Amino acid sequence: MEPMQLEPRLINGGEYVVIRMPSTNSKIVCLKAGSTVSLGKFGSFKADSLIGNTFGHTFEIEKGGTIKPHKQAGFDNADITEANNKEIVDDPKSQKLSFEEIEKLKTKSLAGDVSAQEIIASLTENNESFARKTEFSKSKYIKRKQNKFMKCFFPLETTVYNLCDFFFEANPQKIRGIRTDTLSQLLGLANVYSNARILAVDDGQGLIVGAALSRLDVGGQVLSLHDGDVHNYDVLRYMNLPTETKDRLHTLPWSKFHHKMDAFSEELPENPTQDDINGRERRLRGHTKLSQNLDNLRSGNFDALVVSTNYNPLSVIKQLIPCLGGSRMLVVYDQSKEALLESFAWLRESQRFLNVQLTESWLREYQVLPKRTHPLMTMSGGGGFLLSAIHLASDIK
Amino acid sequence: MFHQYKRVIEDGDLVIVYVTPDAMRPIFVKSGEIFNNRFGSFRHSDMIGLEYGSKIESHDGRGYVYLLHPTPALWTQVVPHRTQILYFADISFISLHLDLRPGKVMVESGTGSGSFSHSIARTIAPTGHLFTFEYHEIRAATAKKEFEEHGLSNIVTIENRDVIANGFGKFNIADAVFLDLPAPWDAVAAAKEVLRKDTIGRICCFSPCIEQVQATALALDEHGFSEIRMFECLAKDCEVRAVPFPDIAEAINGKKISFKQSIVDRKKRKLDNDSMNDVDDEEPKIIERIISKPADVTRGHTSYLTFAILAPDIVE
Repeated sequence: MEPMQLEPRLINGGEYVVIRMPSTNSKIVCLKAGSTVSLGKFGSFKADSLIGNTFGHTFEIEKGGTIKPHKQAGFDNADITEANNKEIVDDPKSQKLSFEEIEKLKTKSLAGDVSAQEIIASLTENNESFARKTEFSKSKYIKRKQNKFMKCFFPLETTVYNLCDFFFEANPQKIRGIRTDTLSQLLGLANVYSNARILAVDDGQGLIVGAALSRLDVGGQVLSLHDGDVHNYDVLRYMNLPTETKDRLHTLPWSKFHHKMDAFSEELPENPTQDDINGRERRLRGHTKLSQNLDNLRSGNFDALVVSTNYNPLSVIKQLIPCLGGSRMLVVYDQSKEALLESFAWLRESQRFLNVQLTESWLREYQVLPKRTHPLMTMSGGGGFLLSAIHLASDIK
Repeated sequence: MFHQYKRVIEDGDLVIVYVTPDAMRPIFVKSGEIFNNRFGSFRHSDMIGLEYGSKIESHDGRGYVYLLHPTPALWTQVVPHRTQILYFADISFISLHLDLRPGKVMVESGTGSGSFSHSIARTIAPTGHLFTFEYHEIRAATAKKEFEEHGLSNIVTIENRDVIANGFGKFNIADAVFLDLPAPWDAVAAAKEVLRKDTIGRICCFSPCIEQVQATALALDEHGFSEIRMFECLAKDCEVRAVPFPDIAEAINGKKISFKQSIVDRKKRKLDNDSMNDVDDEEPKIIERIISKPADVTRGHTSYLTFAILAPDIVE
């Protein structure tokens, strides 16, 4: 059988990408053709030099804003030697280069006049205790200096995983603190599949809605309810969604939840201007869309109800479970456990749900290096909680 | 069945019979047959025409069960184990990390009991494909039969094959590879061949022991994979209780409070042998509070998940 996409996946102009920088800070940038992308102290590069290339490679910024591929070293061969830190003293005088000399090197590096390798070589040569360090310590030292001086970056595709990881680190409140593993379990519990009809509430700026959309295909849709007149699903913007995917999202303001549609009765004035005509067209489209979304909501039988809300979750659940089909999942996310306890108790006692569960996911990353394998020194303290239950069919007494 | 939802039960459907969260059984509904358990006997023909998610009483009225639509998550809980299986937390995390979605092509070895395979099929359907490989002849045959019975043959191709000895037999087709083998480092070369070269290829290796992880990471590095990252992931249950929460003034005033906890639960079923009584009938209402605590004993380890990518050639 033939693979779906035979065209190579190259970086497109106008695409949003995550740029990971050596200090392991990341930022999201839009690679608008003709623009310059600034990475702060790491320099700037021309977007056009990245457009048309592939993901998966590190690039180094050259003088003038062009970029060239940077070969990342694989595993080093650092091993145990007789060296140890018994006699190494933490002494600022170990580094023979002065503060001013180092600053001058940094400026030259930013201008592209001296390479990071040269700087690092200068630093290690002039460091009195460097030679006495263990191999592992030397390797770590060089890595730290590389992160500080190398003008390299690693572009990442804005997959759901990469976006969740990015926001979880850079701005967790934006996504209500949901971590990648928790988000992945939410999708699994809700059984999102290609032509599922998902009913959603996502006050986490659309990461969950976007994640659901990414798992849909022809025939699938998400109907979501939101505060205000328009949704604020900012995260969707970064997902580079094709139009056909965006068309699978239908949104409805909470304020229209009980709305009764009237027939569209706006008439054109005599001698209408083009503006009058366009305006009426727009309002007619809006009226039709609202009517369709309300019909969709009220027809019920959704395949999953997924909720991440700033409001009292039980109040949201009670309003929306009449729309959920039989043997279909309710999944509620919150950053705190307490917010879900009342809902848990209500679902358990309601006789309309089976297998009510409250879970928390635990995730830990390890460093894997020869003879230096261990969990990372810092880890996430928490990634949120999931309340889930199987909804029973409506004819249950 | 697993990659589509139906509303109404039909003859021939696979249905998950739910008694309690720990007692579920998959059955094929077949007119004329009977399902028996401690609550009585249930006629399959009574099930036909019911909505999924319905309750059905036993023929002699002694009790009832629920009829659920199969999903990969439920299948993971009821699949007959032929090997150690992958559980929900790992399945979910790997799927997101490997960017599985409709249309993706995935390669898996070994198939094992097919727990992960069912989830992959659901996630990549209808336009994707899973090529899965199992070197144990009987397990391969069992899994093949299951995929056919579950309507997944269009999406899943299983082959009885030793991929370490013979490779996958396919080249440059996969978006992602999953290795659940005792020696995944021996299959890294084959994984490299089967992955697409025109886009990022993703790999995940699943190993219980740290020594396996180290050998795998070395092999990945040697074969040109990058972004090697390893995680462990666990989903932990929170137990929720309604507990008495009286003011100490009650004790000072000489009142005797019973601190018997009532599990937040629905009405007890008939024939339930649990001897806990319904406290509410006997004593006046005590102030209660809903609290939660972690389970006393929980899973501590499943396996380490080692991820990496194979980057396509740079465009010069």
